[in-house]
Amino acid sequence: MLEKRLILVSGKGGVGKSAIAAGLSLLGQRRGLRVLAMEMGSPGGLSAHFGTGPLEFEPQEIRPGLHAMQMVRSDALLEYLALQLNIKGLSRFGPLARAFDALATTAPGIREIITIGKAIWEVREDRWDVVVADAPPTGQIGSYLRAPITISELVPSGRIRAQSETMQEILRDPEATGVVVVSLPEELPVTETEETLLWLAKEDVVAPPVVVANRVLSELTDPGTPPGPVGEAATLHRSLWAEQQIWLERLPPDHTLPYLHGVFTSGEVAARMADEFELIA
Amino acid sequence: MTRTVLITGAGGVGKTTVAAALGVKAARSGLRTLVVTVDPARRLASALGVEELGNEPQPHAEEPDLWAAMLDATASWRAVAMRHADPEVATRLADNEFFRAASEHFPASQSYAAADQAATFVQAQAWDIVIVDTPPSGGGIDFFAAPAQMADLVGGRLLRWLTGGPLPGRRAFYNLAAKPVLRIADSVLGSDLLERVAEFLLDLRTTYDGVALRGREIERVLASAAIFVVTTSDPAPVREAIKFYRDLPGLAANPSAVIFNRILPEEWAEATAPPGTSPALEQNLARWSAETVRQRDTREEFSSRYGAQIATIPWSPKAPTDLDGLAGLLAESDGLPWAGVGIS
Repeated sequence: MLEKRLILVSGKGGVGKSAIAAGLSLLGQRRGLRVLAMEMGSPGGLSAHFGTGPLEFEPQEIRPGLHAMQMVRSDALLEYLALQLNIKGLSRFGPLARAFDALATTAPGIREIITIGKAIWEVREDRWDVVVADAPPTGQIGSYLRAPITISELVPSGRIRAQSETMQEILRDPEATGVVVVSLPEELPVTETEETLLWLAKEDVVAPPVVVANRVLSELTDPGTPPGPVGEAATLHRSLWAEQQIWLERLPPDHTLPYLHGVFTSGEVAARMADEFELIA
Repeated sequence: MTRTVLITGAGGVGKTTVAAALGVKAARSGLRTLVVTVDPARRLASALGVEELGNEPQPHAEEPDLWAAMLDATASWRAVAMRHADPEVATRLADNEFFRAASEHFPASQSYAAADQAATFVQAQAWDIVIVDTPPSGGGIDFFAAPAQMADLVGGRLLRWLTGGPLPGRRAFYNLAAKPVLRIADSVLGSDLLERVAEFLLDLRTTYDGVALRGREIERVLASAAIFVVTTSDPAPVREAIKFYRDLPGLAANPSAVIFNRILPEEWAEATAPPGTSPALEQNLARWSAETVRQRDTREEFSSRYGAQIATIPWSPKAPTDLDGLAGLLAESDGLPWAGVGIS
């Protein structure tokens, strides 16, 4: 997985995609890669797992070789205008930024192209070996991956249109871009994963994604049910395990990550995730 | 008077199941009950007797006092347009290419639609209690801010931003791209996009009076509702739950309780395997015991920090598939403020 230049980690809300993005970032760092971890959506998920304070738009080195940043759309827009169009000295609160904000709320693809464009810009900059993004949830990821196409349909000319073609190429290149869809062995996450996979296959905007099932229980090999908590815990575990098998069979995932019992402090989950990835990646 | 209960919290914590279970309990205690859900799991929808999306409440075949409605929140903006704009403008809006994009991008719009629909049911005075499962996208605090945000959006804030001046008339857009700052946007985005967006926003603005008036009604309904925050003991949904205790008082009432779902028996926290237990079973107990300790610590911290009324629902391995299953879910719950919502 870490051989790609851009990894987008998506999934239904609550499946642990931030933890997995943090774990992949840590694994990259352990292997000596220059890693940029990018929080694409609302703040809090990634930074909680790294145990840092709120992240900023400007990447900060949080461990040796591991930088982390928070996507801020207005900052990304100004950076785009300054670096790529050579329009400098604009205020993030100025009229142009506000006009873009109006556009970004109403015109399809604008908001998404600024975000995905920033990720692709970082990939092309060569400051990083890999950019790991805690991407928008599966309900929205389609409009982000499709944004370059949406823009070229919406805008007949202009510079964004020309750049959208390059973006499409990078997203579609299986060597450059990988999508990880995180799921849980439960009804709603599996249904949403299936819908996402169907959509991705139809739209052909990225290479087929890697499906990771999170919080998977291991089978309890001892069939005994002694009285008291030992037996009660065994009974609960077996029922949960059996229920999970139904949904795992339906997915089926490319990789599974274990349920982390009793682990909750920030940093600990990400480190455990990195350990687990080390075993499979 | 109809009581309103709002079930809020992060996605994936069992909000819809809790809403449905409360509904069964209310109906079986003799209240005429309506459960309003958004996008439930299939098994749950069939347990509630609503298989198809439809904003019309349906009575349950086996439980005549239990009604359910499954909202189609994606139709939200269309409904706003149809209700609050002239028929001609409404049609033009509904056909507009920006219309869908705006409804997808504006998280408050789904919440607004759900809140609007829920308020309609409450105002109908046809039920003793209306239990509303808030939509996942805006399941957070959004739901309460949605009416004001919606009014703000159609009220022309974006229009003013686009033109950089006071609220313009239609004529102001004929040469939008001639404005110096917008010329840059025009060169980046290509011709006429700005004008097309402005035209759309101008149409949208005609719905303002209706949306603003309705928004205040919705806010009144939300303000008088009892609020239950559902969470599991995992850090991410707990962070979401904390937001309700921190931010909600400014927007609506304080939450009545935080409901921790999927709770393990508290005695497991101290449990150890007796001598002679197999290593596999011993390890299994140790794992679940660690999980129980973590759950307990999470609840204790929540209670001491936010002074919250804590309720718990035991972890049931199988999702309920019928009314008895739903009722059973609450049979061993603890700490739910029944009296506060009129359930005996």
